Amino acid sequence: MRIGSAKQSYAADAALFDSRTQWAWVAVLAASLLAFPFVANEYWLYLACLVAINIASTTGLNLLTGYTGLVSLGQSAFMGLGAYTVAILQIRYGTPMLLNLLAGGVVAMLAGVVVGVPSLRVKGLYLAIATIAAGVIAHFVFSHFADLTGGSAGLSVPPAQVLGVVLDSSFKLYWVIVPITALLLIGAANLFRTRIGRAFIAIRDRDISAEVLGIPLLRYKLLSFAISSFYAGVAGGLFAYFFRAITPESFPLIMSIFFLAAVIVGGMGTMLGSVLGAVFMTLVPEVLKLIVGWLPLGDSAMLVLSPVRTIVFGLMIVLFLIFEPHGLAEVWRRIRRLFHLWPFRT
Amino acid sequence: MTMKKRTFMAATAATLASLSSPLLAQAQKKAAKGGPAEDIVFGASMPMTGVFAFAGIAIDAGIKDYLSILNESGGVEGRKVKYVPEDTAYKVDQSMAAFKKITSQNKVNLYYADSTGFCKAVNPELERHGGILMTGASFAKEISNAQKYPHQFMVGPDYSEMVAILLQYIAKTKPGAKVALVYSDTEFGRDPVEAFRTDTQKLGLKIATEIVTPPGSVDVSAEVIKLRRADPDYAIFHGYISAPIPEFINQARGVGMKTQFMGTFWTMDNSTVMRMGPNADGFMGVMPYRYYYDTEGKSPMLEKIRKMRPEYQATGYMQGFLAAMLLTEAARRTLAAGNELNGKNMKIALSSIRNFDTGGIIGVPLSIKGNSIPIGRVYKADFKQQKMVPASDWINLTQ
Repeated sequence: MRIGSAKQSYAADAALFDSRTQWAWVAVLAASLLAFPFVANEYWLYLACLVAINIASTTGLNLLTGYTGLVSLGQSAFMGLGAYTVAILQIRYGTPMLLNLLAGGVVAMLAGVVVGVPSLRVKGLYLAIATIAAGVIAHFVFSHFADLTGGSAGLSVPPAQVLGVVLDSSFKLYWVIVPITALLLIGAANLFRTRIGRAFIAIRDRDISAEVLGIPLLRYKLLSFAISSFYAGVAGGLFAYFFRAITPESFPLIMSIFFLAAVIVGGMGTMLGSVLGAVFMTLVPEVLKLIVGWLPLGDSAMLVLSPVRTIVFGLMIVLFLIFEPHGLAEVWRRIRRLFHLWPFRT
Repeated sequence: MTMKKRTFMAATAATLASLSSPLLAQAQKKAAKGGPAEDIVFGASMPMTGVFAFAGIAIDAGIKDYLSILNESGGVEGRKVKYVPEDTAYKVDQSMAAFKKITSQNKVNLYYADSTGFCKAVNPELERHGGILMTGASFAKEISNAQKYPHQFMVGPDYSEMVAILLQYIAKTKPGAKVALVYSDTEFGRDPVEAFRTDTQKLGLKIATEIVTPPGSVDVSAEVIKLRRADPDYAIFHGYISAPIPEFINQARGVGMKTQFMGTFWTMDNSTVMRMGPNADGFMGVMPYRYYYDTEGKSPMLEKIRKMRPEYQATGYMQGFLAAMLLTEAARRTLAAGNELNGKNMKIALSSIRNFDTGGIIGVPLSIKGNSIPIGRVYKADFKQQKMVPASDWINLTQ
């Protein structure tokens, strides 16, 4: 049983992983991530890449909604901007993949700052509605600037090339998507060891008090939108390289709701929450598909699956919010506490 | 001591996990190789739920029925065809996931795609995979480009060809007529606009107006006013399944317009048109296939279908039936010529189809040259009989 761990410096106190056991588990995770592509088939690799992209985007949204308290339904718009930027650069200029992703992130970031301006006047539900406008405007831009964006037909993205290797399969894309996601996650986690992160949390808890304490709301709220949409832009760029075809319909409002649900179910305000929420939202439909496939329903299995999936999905989200409002991260922490405190219970 | 025990347990758990996954992967890989005397696998991304469910269920039934007829009579060169569908709710990412799942668990040679978006997204995968010939529910003009989509084809005319067939009919019936195009602001809707503009000019028809409606719009009174001002002889709707066509027709008839309204394939299902209300009597449109209840002309296949399925089957059924017919025919020709079953060989075999008798599904023998089959007939709605009846001969754009 691990009791306390005395820290002897501020740096040690703020460390992300503070014990040898934790580091050992991180090493196990890293090893399994490295080994996974060699043992998984095409379908699982596809899911893994999709989960990684969703983790990146959910982390961005968690930063904005979970840590800064600014509810946003514009995540899909920023992803779309990132995706289209990457697609246009790749098609027209053939610039390197990482540069394109960075550019996608920056374009989304600039859009995020603009969309974030209402947050200075408007809060909560009303801000959420204001951010829906981002999605509508983005959709309009994607459909009507046809010379640049291919209009309603969208764009077909040629595969990325890194160091001469053409990334045209899930196996190859895995080696780019997962490290980038890991980097984004570590960056976000470390952000909350700095002044900026603490300012975000202060704004979430009570922004008027935060202002009184000397945190300039304008700067930090817009910074939150900027960083969050940068993450969304990079995730959107990875989305473009992964799906290789993007249209204005690829980034609907329902996608923003997906990510918001992932943040809430995973646990608002925790990095672990972003990961668990994204994994949950992406994999539960697939797991349900598997389960319904096992049931002896024969021909009508396919017809039953989709409504069952929707019902179970919605039910799980509702049950989570009733029984565990802090999300999957809290469930995880409870299980951890069980191991730490055993043989005691609390 | 506790620390060491815990780290030991962690290490064991990790080793066990990492050892068991290769075993699982091996089992899955074995399944993917298929058994001896292999079944030919026909995969499908089927929109069984969602906005396209009415079509998906019908297409699924059509494919299943044709494959059962085929398997009963010996299959393809002695090999049975196994149908492996997955529901996609008409969403591209779910379609991709279904494709990846089916192709990782089976050796797939034939595939049915549910949407234009999926056909485009999966095209690079198809080229990399190399072993699949694909068709689908999409009639997008882009996919009729055989260079860009070498392993795909369409079971019918593309949307531009459908509009061209309608315009040919109009030019024959009323030369120099004024034609309007009403389309939805989606990729589906915008598909034939270019063709509309060029073909009206070529056939000596006049463009009365072009009206765009936002997708999912319910109130079309402003557009009806525009249509009324243009006063066309014919108005072609494209990019819709039903709504807002009934609103257009009812409001137009209400203000006394005598325009002849027409639609394209996905609007033409019997139940869809009959539900448009009595004002839609005389509604015309282009159909690449016969209807379930058609008895004019010799259609042995239709009679077989009517015996297998006593209740009315939607137009999607014909599309799925014919898709299965053509895909398996391409596979049969490839195997009969002694070639390996891959996308390239099957496409060559498909393009060798000349004067093929579909058993009456399409009223004339068909030949496949490019990626589409530009044959169709104009049908007219007869509300007294509650049926769509033929209003023209079979129009073949390649002749």
